[in-house]
Amino acid sequence: MTTRELLAILVLVAPLAGILVAAVVPREPLVRAETAVAVVTALAAAAVAVVALAEPGHRDLGRWIVLDPAGGLLVGVIGAVGLASALMSRPFLTGRHASLFRPHRADRIYWATLFAFWAVLLAVPLAGNLGAAWIAIEATTAASALLVGFSGRGRALEAGWKYLILTSLGLGVALLGLLMLEAAAGGGGLETLTWRSLPHTDLNRETALVAYVLLLAGLAAKIGWAPVHNWLPDAHSEAPAPVSALLSAALLPAVLLVAWRSQQALAPTIGERTSRGVLVGFGLVSLAVAVPFLWRPQAWKRLLAYSSLEHMGVIGLGIGFGGPLALAGVAIHIAGHAIAKALGFYAAAPLLAHDPRAAGHAVGGIGRTEPSLGASLGISLGALAGLPPSPLFVSEVLIVAGGFQVGRPWAAAAAAVLLALGFLGLAHALVDTVVGRPRGRDRHPPTGLRSVRTLTAIAVPLLLALTAAALWLPDSAVVDGLLRGLG
Amino acid sequence: MSALAWAVVALGVGVVVVRRRSLAVGLVTGQALLLAAVALGEGGSFDAAIAAAALVLRGIRLAALLLFLVRRTRESRPVRAGVAPLARAAAGVALALALIWLIPPIGLDSMAAERATLSLVAIGLVTAATRRATLFQVLGIVLVENGLALAALSLPGSSSLAIELGVAIDLLLIAVVAGVFHERIFAEFGAGDSAALRSLRDN
Repeated sequence: MTTRELLAILVLVAPLAGILVAAVVPREPLVRAETAVAVVTALAAAAVAVVALAEPGHRDLGRWIVLDPAGGLLVGVIGAVGLASALMSRPFLTGRHASLFRPHRADRIYWATLFAFWAVLLAVPLAGNLGAAWIAIEATTAASALLVGFSGRGRALEAGWKYLILTSLGLGVALLGLLMLEAAAGGGGLETLTWRSLPHTDLNRETALVAYVLLLAGLAAKIGWAPVHNWLPDAHSEAPAPVSALLSAALLPAVLLVAWRSQQALAPTIGERTSRGVLVGFGLVSLAVAVPFLWRPQAWKRLLAYSSLEHMGVIGLGIGFGGPLALAGVAIHIAGHAIAKALGFYAAAPLLAHDPRAAGHAVGGIGRTEPSLGASLGISLGALAGLPPSPLFVSEVLIVAGGFQVGRPWAAAAAAVLLALGFLGLAHALVDTVVGRPRGRDRHPPTGLRSVRTLTAIAVPLLLALTAAALWLPDSAVVDGLLRGLG
Repeated sequence: MSALAWAVVALGVGVVVVRRRSLAVGLVTGQALLLAAVALGEGGSFDAAIAAAALVLRGIRLAALLLFLVRRTRESRPVRAGVAPLARAAAGVALALALIWLIPPIGLDSMAAERATLSLVAIGLVTAATRRATLFQVLGIVLVENGLALAALSLPGSSSLAIELGVAIDLLLIAVVAGVFHERIFAEFGAGDSAALRSLRDN
């Protein structure tokens, strides 16, 4: 076993210690012990990301574990967002009022479920075959649905229930596609479904195409691509803020990576242009569906959720276009979206304490009544809108340019128009939220603002560094590695 | 094989139309046992025996969990579905026929297995979409998974036991989480009725 594979196994095992800690460690040092496990997990994830991205030409294609630049990027993102969510869970649990579980057990169940979710989430980009990836994705549903409904309030139950049922049915459809592939390959067991074997398997084109569409339609329900995104705004808005951040910044792109790998694996059979066309289609439809919601006044977390729909559409377009410019844009977009979106969700906790109306209504003038909170909200929303110097501005330019580069001018032009419309909607929300007229009169001192200030101070240089990296990335070996995929 | 496969589908149609939750749980458990018989009918190999055992265990555990939930959340009258039983059955059959017509041959051992698989997926989707009772929506997912288990048993050559076990464990996990939600929804709204879950709307 190589050092890289050992590191990947460490990443998968480390968060399981968090479940054990939740079960056995006494109440007093529980939070400190969980924080320590979170730091170890994040360090292991960072090591895997560095190793994979430092040697982008090298890849490990095992039956159960795969490590390539795209997987490394996702593991790094999931590790970083997971650590931040674990750190932000402390103020959340201190301030929580009710729970789905009995009060004396609720905190332990929260920690155990959070680490279980994190563990299976890390397994998704590292899974060496389509079957294991499917199992990991389905397992994320079980763990994260409990976290979505954690508060036990009626609205959270509704959001958790919708999420559980819709994504489970969607993944059932994806499993049908997976079984079709296995049958079309004439059996052969696990090896047939490995990422290393699928591209070389002799498949009937028509069957492979239908299987691919079923796979993507099923995964779309989990990625939150339109038109099967109904659970997304509800789950993201009702989940605890640290969980919303993990759902949006880590889960959605991790599942999207499996869709991308499926495209790479089946392109030799069904054709490069056809397989990419399906991704471009999902991307454009998601963008088109998201834009009208970005123009409406929305509650803060719901606005971020619709922005997730938009950004998953952008990433879908990028991998659908697939050229060097577009893939450079995808890499920057995944990382930049994760930072900006996670910050936005973490800032939701002090925002709700400051102005409780924010749970169900658009807020205004936060920068006037609480300047540092307004700054955090503004930086998050400005970055998500693609306001320069946000890295998402550069990544969107790269993706649109990538569309023209690979000979999809109409899709690229449509994306440019939709992105401009989405920008206008979010820019309006940005102005209103930060410097608009304050709507509520009963504003209170926000709680948990200190940790959000710290995260904002970390996020700003990271976002600027990403913008700088975006200028260098298109000609780099990392993009060559992404272009090569798993081949 | 084909008689057993169609018997599994017939039990699925039963789940779409019956009113009582406990009866529907009995029907999906019967499906799991029939699927185990299909697995054993494939031959006396080690893999077939493991697959059959996994199906039986999964079926019995699901039945125990779901019947426990039925007992804990007794309703004075069953939750009304938004669609009449015959219309639900017709919708299930129509979607099954559409899938059979649209999807090219999958490559399973027999056409009967392919058609039964697609029928079960269709019936599961229709059950989840047309039944308001939360427990029936979970049963819709179980029906889909039973259809996919039938497909896995009918694959040519060998299939991956590890993947099949993983899928079975995932289904049990989903059912346990759904059970937690079902109980809490019952406590919060007085019925396991998904129609009560309509408060989240965009402005």
